[in-house]
Amino acid sequence: MRGPFQHRGVVASLVVPSIAVMVFAMLVPLGFSVYYSFTDWAGFGEYRQVGLANYWDIVRLEYVDGELVANDPVFWRSLWNTLLLMVATILIQNPVAFALAAILAHVSKKLSRVLRTIYFVPAVLSLVIVARMWVSIFNPTYGVLNKLLRAVGLDGLATSWLSNPDTAIWAVIWIIVWQGFGWALLFYYAGLMTVPKEIEEAARVDGASWFQTYWHVIVPYLRPAIAAVIVIDVISSMKQMELIYLSTNGGPGTLTQFVSVYLYQKAFASSEYGYGNALSVLFVVLSVGLTLLVLRVMRAMPRQEGEG
Amino acid sequence: MKRLVLLAALLAPALALGADKVTLKMGDNYPDRTNTWGAVIETINAEFKAANPGIEIVTESYPDQPYQEKIKIYATARQLPDVFKYWSFSTLLKPLVDGKFVVPLDRPAFEKLGYLPGALDSNVYGGKLYGIPVSADLWVIYYNKKLFQEAGVTKLPTTFEELKALVPKFKAKGIIPMTTDGKDAWPLCITFDQLAWRLSGDPTLPQKALDRKIKFTDPVFVKAATLLQDMVKSGLFQEDVMVSDYGASRNLFGQGKAAMYLMGSWELGLSSDQSFSQEFRDNVDAFKFPTVAGGKGGPEDLMAWYGGNYVVSASSKHTGLGMKYLEFYAKRFPVLAWEKKATFPAQKVDAQPSDAPVAKSLLKIAAEAKATSGTPTLDRATPAFKEDMQNAVRELCSSIITPEEFTKKIDAAAAKAAKK
Repeated sequence: MRGPFQHRGVVASLVVPSIAVMVFAMLVPLGFSVYYSFTDWAGFGEYRQVGLANYWDIVRLEYVDGELVANDPVFWRSLWNTLLLMVATILIQNPVAFALAAILAHVSKKLSRVLRTIYFVPAVLSLVIVARMWVSIFNPTYGVLNKLLRAVGLDGLATSWLSNPDTAIWAVIWIIVWQGFGWALLFYYAGLMTVPKEIEEAARVDGASWFQTYWHVIVPYLRPAIAAVIVIDVISSMKQMELIYLSTNGGPGTLTQFVSVYLYQKAFASSEYGYGNALSVLFVVLSVGLTLLVLRVMRAMPRQEGEG
Repeated sequence: MKRLVLLAALLAPALALGADKVTLKMGDNYPDRTNTWGAVIETINAEFKAANPGIEIVTESYPDQPYQEKIKIYATARQLPDVFKYWSFSTLLKPLVDGKFVVPLDRPAFEKLGYLPGALDSNVYGGKLYGIPVSADLWVIYYNKKLFQEAGVTKLPTTFEELKALVPKFKAKGIIPMTTDGKDAWPLCITFDQLAWRLSGDPTLPQKALDRKIKFTDPVFVKAATLLQDMVKSGLFQEDVMVSDYGASRNLFGQGKAAMYLMGSWELGLSSDQSFSQEFRDNVDAFKFPTVAGGKGGPEDLMAWYGGNYVVSASSKHTGLGMKYLEFYAKRFPVLAWEKKATFPAQKVDAQPSDAPVAKSLLKIAAEAKATSGTPTLDRATPAFKEDMQNAVRELCSSIITPEEFTKKIDAAAAKAAKK
């Protein structure tokens, strides 16, 4: 007897919709982007084919008065900022989220549930609310942060957090890390719940301290979860747009510019739609490349005994 | 089958109802529909609907910059509203004209409606009128008389040096001396123009630099950039001026935290904005941008232009109705705008004894002007030049680059724009 899934028509009818969505929502727009990236289109009106000129303008470095300068320094600045954000999320957000998840796994069920909800609140808040909230906290005149600093006598530290060139990028990174923190915590907490109690107990019986238990037993056990979180961090750092657009919009100057905000500004504020598309295509290539690289590195890491 | 019949029966009246209703889609940059300009538009819309039964008006509003971006996105997607607010500049209207997105208007019909000299011309491209100007824009400094008294300031600053000397007086009272929108950068670009004119006495220099007859790296521009940077460095503005957007900086002034507000005459509505206190509304007034010591420009050299306009989309199914709306708007707007003190219209208005002091001051400033600038530099070239100049100003005013580097940057941007 043939089941319904042996029938080609049935299989096709199940697969075609999702493939169609993929093609029309991703591949076709990407194709248009690639096409327009070879033009000098302003977004409307006439345009000319310019070949690779947009790409060349983005990446070109020139010698001016014996100094190597980028033709588009904003692009390099935004790449650098993306890298900073990535490193900050991986090296700061991750360990803190893991540590908190570990604590949550050991406190009472009731307390854990309450705390988990609180920690997850930033992740479910609308990005607009998160951005507006931090913009007002960082506000030099009304802001809670400066008021707090002044109240405890640290007047010297009070500054205009989002517009001071020295602090702006870190303030922005802080907002993004704070907002994304809940997800990392959720992943780690869920992971920790799957760790068999026997492993932990066995380690304890062998005389391992709690730190040793975590470092040598639980962290390696959770390697797949950690890898997943890091990949998500890398991807979300790359495509970060809304929080920057809503907080500094790349300012002061272009110090907190990120690629996705920059390409939006180029396409729609500067009316350099072709250039904006070239930026986006280049960025897709970079993002896919980096994601593959991270996955590769994760896979190449030494495996635990008895695993896989 | 039965269900289908039921569905058809349900839909039929709805379809019939929809058939004789015409919906006019509109767009503007006034999200507040209960105060000043937004309220005036709502009044005009209500009157227009009453005079033309069967018409529905749906308006989309966003703050300035997001609105401009939205319109560009709509143009790209070919979904422009039927009638919308825009700006006459070569950076904004010209691309829409070039792409045939807006329809030419019947100039004689509007010429009779009392437009100020040059107002309609600002919306002419290739000999045709594409938009109706709605506001005459003057660059002024608003101030709060009560805060001036509190800080013991009895004389309005007439020179740049006097203006800067006020900083410690206000700061001693915990008052922010002056606010403006630094995040969007265009107010600082206009101020740069104003400073260069105060120094040189010649308003044509920026256009000459854009035409590549002179360079933006010339000493007068470097000096103007130095003064502009100095305004921020000396603590004249709110501390986070470079990330304060339009609304935030306006609120600082309206809520009585700041003594002065550097902005255009379209903010005339501050004196009637119900979201601010009566005390503030009674105390708001305006004065001329001060002169610069040793500069050749006088206090009567006024940065003034016709920016905001209204246009009709060429892809609209109701272009005829859209043009009819514009004529209606052109007749009603100056009267209502002046009555509500919503903005300084681009058409002649009659001064009234009941006019708020700030309205009287603006009329006086306009009347005393010996020369006007026309469109500010940033809106005289390409959209890319505008963005480059705004970014350079942001960097200059955040002290990331020096005045010399700033002038090099805008000179390079001008060279790029001239090639197009």
